[in-house]
Amino acid sequence: MTGARRAALRSPIETLGATAMQVAREAGGITLLAGRVLRCLVPPSMDGRELTRNMYRMGNRSVPIVALTAFFVGGIMVIQAGMYVRQFNATGLVGWGAGYAIFREIGPVLIALMFSGRVGSNNTAELGTMTVTEGTMTVTEQLDGLRALAIDPIRYLIVPRVVAMMVMLFILTVVGDLVSIAGGMLFSRLLIGIDPSTFYYSLVDNLDWIDFVHGLVKSAVFGLSIALTSCYFGVSVRGGAVGVGRAVNAAVVAAAVSIMLLDFFLTFLLP
Amino acid sequence: MSEDRPATGPRQRIERLGAAALDGLAATGQLAGMLGATWRGVVRGRRPPGEVANQMFVVGNKSLLFVAVTLGFIGMVMVYQSCLQLERITGDLSRIGPEFLKLLVQDFGPTITALMLATRVGAGIAAEIGSMVVTEQVDALRMSGVTPIDYLIAPRFIACVVMGAVLTVFGVAIAYLAGGLTAWSSFDLNPRLFFDPSRVGFLDLCLGLTKTLCYGMAIPVISGACGLRARGGSEGVGAATTAAVIGSSLAVIALDLVISGVGLLLVGHGR
Repeated sequence: MTGARRAALRSPIETLGATAMQVAREAGGITLLAGRVLRCLVPPSMDGRELTRNMYRMGNRSVPIVALTAFFVGGIMVIQAGMYVRQFNATGLVGWGAGYAIFREIGPVLIALMFSGRVGSNNTAELGTMTVTEGTMTVTEQLDGLRALAIDPIRYLIVPRVVAMMVMLFILTVVGDLVSIAGGMLFSRLLIGIDPSTFYYSLVDNLDWIDFVHGLVKSAVFGLSIALTSCYFGVSVRGGAVGVGRAVNAAVVAAAVSIMLLDFFLTFLLP
Repeated sequence: MSEDRPATGPRQRIERLGAAALDGLAATGQLAGMLGATWRGVVRGRRPPGEVANQMFVVGNKSLLFVAVTLGFIGMVMVYQSCLQLERITGDLSRIGPEFLKLLVQDFGPTITALMLATRVGAGIAAEIGSMVVTEQVDALRMSGVTPIDYLIAPRFIACVVMGAVLTVFGVAIAYLAGGLTAWSSFDLNPRLFFDPSRVGFLDLCLGLTKTLCYGMAIPVISGACGLRARGGSEGVGAATTAAVIGSSLAVIALDLVISGVGLLLVGHGR
């Protein structure tokens, strides 16, 4: 680490270039992986049992953490709205404000971040462990080994995970949005004394289905990006236990950046 | 985290819920003890010379680009979405800049920066300490009479508290700037109307600072605890890193809810 610091102090341009190269290499690797996954999906064929196993593991098992996060987030949004309610006495707008923010932005983004922390990093660790426990074998050799057994590693290992993560993040966002609204109703009753029915009508009168769908489309795209980054960093692990830790770290960072970037572009593209 | 489906009777469900709640309570107690031990280590523990500066570099400088990218994009998205909705409902965008800054200072700036730190730094701490545990370096430290908390966690703790605050200020500035540019380019809002800090009060600053300091303390302690608990090879390191990301993100959101709730009550009594 001291070496890294000295290098950074010596030549910022050099570090900037190295970072740019690293980012370009990772982005390229992820794109290639996306292409190979897509090729397996064109006539959709994959291991069905592997798919349902992954869906259960990634989806059902994440419900508690997603529900807890969403519940807290609903409370936070209502508290923020409550500051304005105190000021302007605008009780009729809390449901609208909280609902709009949760459906379009905060819900999908925060649930995706939690999903990336739980499922994405778990996935990287699992694929990475699979990769390093093969001892001196590199990933490509291991994949060759699977291929020699007439098992396509992308089709068998990666595709079910990608599909499962996309579908499950979408469903979890639906669940999370609803829990969030319920949490918002509860906290607005407790903290600022707004009736749940006032909250509800403020929400349904001012919001459209399109606001809800806007967030769900985002969540499916986030799911795809989390899946691709976590699989990429998982299969490119080098060097034992230290390497696995580092890969998980890199995967969650890359997923967070891609969530924010995609959020930006999707906000402008979607109605 | 076994993969087979657990027994599903109503009684087992309730038992599992209770067990999860008890586990959560026990973990909270352990973390509180660890926070105390870390403070003791900060005040009068031995640590390697230069380690604090080194960790500050790792936590602060190396996260600069990550925080700038994520906070910049989220700032643009938030302003765009709110302008879109406000234009539809009231048509008056002149208040958006001051209100955005207030929201950013007292809630979103600290919280989103801390979520990003939880992914990047939290995962990094757990991966590093976890690798040291499974390669028996921590045992070697204990053998030579050094407590791992003083030696490993205290420097990271100081670095996270200080650099968390610095990065939050930086992140708020970036998000505000990016938001102002979006409002100017997409909605023709005069930057002089947007960049107006008049709505930010003393209480907002206090609230934001309190949150920043609490997050800065929570992230290294939780991630360090996850790292120290790592057992058994690369699998253990992967699991520790995952647990650190989830634990510290959830802690940030829960702390946000609690501190915002207290803040709302304070505002209510102040008026």
